[in-house]
Amino acid sequence: MKPVFKFIGVLLIIGLIVPGSALAVKEIKIGAIYPLTGGAAAAGRELRAGAELAAEIANNVMADINMSMAKNGGIKSMGGAKITIIFKDHEGNPTLGADLAKKLILDDKVDGLLGCYHSSVTKTVSAVAEQHGIPMINGTSTSPALTKRGFKWFWRTTPHDVWFTKDLFEFLVGLSGGKVKGVDSFPKKELLNIASACENSEWGSFVSALIKDFAGEYKFNLNKSLLYSAKAPDLSSEVRSLKAAKPDVMMFASYTSDAILMVKTLKAQKVQPKIIWGQDAGFEKPEFRSTLGDSIVGILTRTVFLPKVVEIKPVAGQVNKLYKAKTGNDLGGASARAFTGLQTWVHVLEKAGSTKPADIQGAANAIQIPGKELVVPWAGIKFSTSGGEIGQNTLGSGLIGQYQKGPDGKLVLEIVYPFDVASADMIYPFPQF
Amino acid sequence: METIKNALDFSDFPRLDLIIAVLVLVFLLLFPLLPFSAFAMATMIQFLMFSIYGMGWNTIGGYGGQVDLGKAQYVGIGAYTTAVMLIRWDIPFWVSMPIGMCLAVGWSFIIGYPLFRLKGHYFAIATIATSLVLKALFEVWTFVGAARGLEISPIKYDPPDFLRLIFKEDVYYYFVILGFFILGIFYINWFRKSRLGFQLRCIKDNEAVAQSLGINVRWAKVKTYAIATAFVSVVGSFHACYIKAIEPEDTMSLDISILIALMAMLGGAGSLWGPIIGAGILIPLKSYLKEWLGATAGLVGIDLIIYALIIMLVSAFEPRGIWGIIEKIRRRRRK
Amino acid sequence: MDILLSSIVAGLLFGMVLAMVALGLTIIFGVMDIVNFAHGEFLMIGMYTGLLTAQATGLEPLLTIPVAAAVGFLLGVLCYFGFIKFLLRGPMIAQLLGTFGLMLFLRNLALLVFGSEDRALHHGVLVGKSFDVGMGIILPATKLAAAGLSVVAFWGIWILMNRTKIGNALRATALNAQGARYMGIPTERMNALAWGIGGGTVTISGALIVNFWSVNPFMGLLFTMIAFAIVALGGFGSVPGAFFAGLVVGMITEIPGFWDFITYTFNLDWMANVPMTSFKYMWVYLAYFLIMVIRPRGLFGWKQ
Repeated sequence: MKPVFKFIGVLLIIGLIVPGSALAVKEIKIGAIYPLTGGAAAAGRELRAGAELAAEIANNVMADINMSMAKNGGIKSMGGAKITIIFKDHEGNPTLGADLAKKLILDDKVDGLLGCYHSSVTKTVSAVAEQHGIPMINGTSTSPALTKRGFKWFWRTTPHDVWFTKDLFEFLVGLSGGKVKGVDSFPKKELLNIASACENSEWGSFVSALIKDFAGEYKFNLNKSLLYSAKAPDLSSEVRSLKAAKPDVMMFASYTSDAILMVKTLKAQKVQPKIIWGQDAGFEKPEFRSTLGDSIVGILTRTVFLPKVVEIKPVAGQVNKLYKAKTGNDLGGASARAFTGLQTWVHVLEKAGSTKPADIQGAANAIQIPGKELVVPWAGIKFSTSGGEIGQNTLGSGLIGQYQKGPDGKLVLEIVYPFDVASADMIYPFPQF
Repeated sequence: METIKNALDFSDFPRLDLIIAVLVLVFLLLFPLLPFSAFAMATMIQFLMFSIYGMGWNTIGGYGGQVDLGKAQYVGIGAYTTAVMLIRWDIPFWVSMPIGMCLAVGWSFIIGYPLFRLKGHYFAIATIATSLVLKALFEVWTFVGAARGLEISPIKYDPPDFLRLIFKEDVYYYFVILGFFILGIFYINWFRKSRLGFQLRCIKDNEAVAQSLGINVRWAKVKTYAIATAFVSVVGSFHACYIKAIEPEDTMSLDISILIALMAMLGGAGSLWGPIIGAGILIPLKSYLKEWLGATAGLVGIDLIIYALIIMLVSAFEPRGIWGIIEKIRRRRRK
Repeated sequence: MDILLSSIVAGLLFGMVLAMVALGLTIIFGVMDIVNFAHGEFLMIGMYTGLLTAQATGLEPLLTIPVAAAVGFLLGVLCYFGFIKFLLRGPMIAQLLGTFGLMLFLRNLALLVFGSEDRALHHGVLVGKSFDVGMGIILPATKLAAAGLSVVAFWGIWILMNRTKIGNALRATALNAQGARYMGIPTERMNALAWGIGGGTVTISGALIVNFWSVNPFMGLLFTMIAFAIVALGGFGSVPGAFFAGLVVGMITEIPGFWDFITYTFNLDWMANVPMTSFKYMWVYLAYFLIMVIRPRGLFGWKQ
C-alpha cells in the first residue's frame, strides 16, 4: 500500500479512538434480572417499571421531585454518566437466572446487578456475582438466608422476613391488648390458635419456619403449618386441612396466582377465622384486588408501601404521580422497592465516583441515605458491615395494611401497624365472606 | 486388555465418519482458546452434559428399544448425593460421585426389576410415574432441603478446587465434562460390541426369538437400565458442582427426562453418534432461539414453538433421527 | 366426622370431573393404541375456549359447552389428519415423542396467544355459589354441575360406543384394525373420529372446569398425568373403567383429608405434622406404578 495512504489511515484511526474515549460520557450498565414471564410476570412488570422510572429520574433533571438524584442529569461524580438498565427474564428459574447473570457479567460487562424478586433466583444470581466480584443490590427478596451467607458483594435494601413476621406477632399481641386503632382489648385466649400455609420454595418455607419460631416465642398455638406448591391448580384439600385445625388466625405466604386461588377457595369453603394475613407478595398485587374484588375486605397484608404512604411522605406522592402516568397503577411494594433499589445504586455510584468494583464496594459499605430521600417509609438506608448479617439494610421497616372499602366504594389499603401511624380503624374480626 | 482394545477400536465406521469425528474432537479441545462469549461456553458445557445424558439413555432406549422417560430422578440422586456429602461432610466430588452412582444404580435395580414387566407405552408412562414420585419425595424430605433445595456456598472453598470441583471460571468445568464425554464415547463403543450390546439388539428386534435363544431378557434390560442410570448420575453430580444450587423442580422435573430422550431420538437412537448430534443441534438451538426471539415482548414462547415443531416433524417423518437420514442417503448412494 | 364426609364428597365430585377428562384419552387409546401426551393441552384449550366465549359473548358459561365441544372435535380431527396420521407409521418412541412435541407446541402457542397469567371466570349462574347440606359438606355449585354433566357424558359415550353403528365400527377398529378394514370399515375415518370424540369430550370438561379453576398455559401436564393414571387403573380402552377409576383417583387425592380425619378423631398430634398435602398427587403416580406392575390390565381393561 502506498505509504501516504498508510499514514492517513493511521491518523484516522488515532483520530477516531483518542477523542472518542476522552469525550464519550461514560455509560453505566446495570443488569436487572426479573421474572418478566411466568407466574410472577405481573410482579415482573411492576419491578421493571419501578426500576425504569428511577433510572429516568436519575438520568434527567426533574425539578418537581424532591430527591437529590432528580437534581442531576446522570451521575454527577462521573461527569454526568447515564445509567442504562439491561433487563433479563429469569422466568422464576434459578438456573436460568445464574446463566443470565454470567452472561451479563462476562459478555455484557455490566457494572452491577439488580434483582431478582424470587428469593430462590436471587440466591443463585448473587452466588455468581459473588464469585466474580461484581456488586449486586437486592431490593425485593425477603428470605433472611440471603444475607446470612457472609457474601461481600451483596447488599439488600429491603427488610427481610424475620422483621416482618415479628411485626405480625407484635401486632397480634397488641391487638388483644387494645393497642390497635378501633379495637377494644379482649382476652388473649380468643386469638390463640394459628394455622399457616406457605408456598414451598426458598421464600415460603422460610416464612413457615419463622412462624413456627415466633408462635412459640409469643406463646400462640400453631395448630397446622403446611407447605404447598405455588403452581398447584387446586388448593381445596389444603384449605380443608386448615379449616379442620379450627384456627383463629390464618397466615399465608403466597405469590400472586396462588394467593388469588387460596382466597377463592377459602371463600368457597366458607372458612371463618378472625384474622387472615398474607406476607405481602401475592396479597399485595393489583391482580389480587381486581380479581377478588370486595371479598378481600378485612384481609391483612404485610406491605412495604401502600398508596396511603403518599399522605405521610410527599416525595412518595410526587413519584407515584409519575408512576401512575407511566403504568396506570399506583406504586406497590414491588415497584417501590425496585425503584428504591435502583435509587440506591445511583447514590452508591455517586459516592464511589467510579465503576471499579472495589470503589463501589467501599461506597456501599459506607453509605447512609436519609429517609426523606426515599419513597418507602423507612428511616433510611445503611448497610450492616459486621455481625451475622453483612449487607443488610438496618434502617428498614414494614407496615401491616388492611383492605377496606373507602368512602367512594373503592378498595383501599389502610395502615393498621405500626400502631401510631394507623390511618383508619381496623375491621375486627374478619367479616363473613 | 480385550475390553480396552474393543473400546478404542472404531474401525467399523466409514473413514469419512472418523475424520469428521477427529475434527470435531480437535475443535472441542481447542474451543476454550477461541474467542467465544461466556454464553457460548455455558452452552457448550450444556451440550457436553446432554450428550452424555443422551449416550447413557441410548443404551436402554436406543440399542434396547425401551423408551425410558424417567431419567431425571437419577440426575437428582447423583446431584443430591454430591451436594449433601460436600455440604455436610466436606467429601470431595471424586468420592461422592461414585457413591452417588452406586446409590442411583442400586435404586435402578430396585425399581427396574418390576418396571421391566411392562412393555411399550406402559413402560414409558411407568418410568415417568417413578420419576415424579421420587421428585415429590425429595420435595418434602428436609434432609435434602425439601423444595428449597441445597446451595453450595461459592465462597466457602477457594477456587480452583480440583478435589471438590469448585471453580470460578467455566473453562475448568468444560475440560472436566469433556473428559467424561470422551470416556463416555469409548464406553459406548465398547458396549455396542459387547455381549450385552448384542443381546439387547436381539431383544429389540424380536423379544420372543431372543428368549428362545436363551437370553435372559429381563436381566439384560435391567443391567442396561443400570448402565444408563450410571451415566446420568455422574453428570448429575457434575451438575451439582457446576450450578451449585439444586432443587427438585430444577433437577428432577419431567422436562429434563423428556429432553434427554429427545436428544437421542432426534440425533438417532441406536447409533453411537446419534445422541451427540441430537444434543449438538438441540442445545444451541434452544439457547440461541431464546436469545434471539424469546425476550422480545409479544413473542414469548416462540422459541419453544419452533423447537416443538422440529420435534414433531422429526418424529413424524424421520423417526430414526438425523443419523437415520444420513444412513438413508448413504444407502441410496451405494446403489 | 365432618372432615371425613366432606373429604369423601369432595373426592367423589373431583373424581367424576377427572373421569371425564380421562374419557377422551381412553377412547383414543382404545381405537389406535397411541398415547396422547398432549391430552392435558386439549383440556387447557377447552378451558380457554369456554372462558373466552363466555367473556366475549356475555353468555352463561354453561352454554359455551357446545362451542367447546365443536372446537375440541375439530382440533382432534385436525391433529389426526395433520400430524398423528404420520406418526402411526413410525416406531413407538417416535409416537411418544411426537405427541410430546404436540404438547409443547400447543402449550407454547397458548402462551404466545393468551399470555402466561391465570385467567378465571367471575360471572355466571353458578360461579361462586355453593350448597351447604349440613354436616360440614359444602357442595360448590360449579363442581356439582361438572360432575353431573360428566355422568351424562359418560352415559352418552357409552350409548354411542355400544348401541350405535358408528360405535360398533369404532370398537371393531379398536379390536382389530385390519379385520375391520376387510369388513369395509374405513380405518382412517375411524381414527379421525376417535380423535374427534376424544378431543371433544376433553374440551367439554375443560369448559366445565374453567367455572371453578383458573386456566394458564402450563396446567396441562398435571392433568395429562392424572388422566394416564385413571386410564391405566380403569383399563386402557374401557369407558366404564375410566369412570370408576376416576372416582378412585379422586378419592386418592383426598388422602390428606382422610389423614386429617384420623388425626383429629384420635388426637394423634404427630400426624398433624406430616405434610400430607404436599404428597397429594404423588399418591396418584404411586398408584399408577403399582397398578401397572401388579395388574397392567387395570380394572376393566381388555387390551394388554
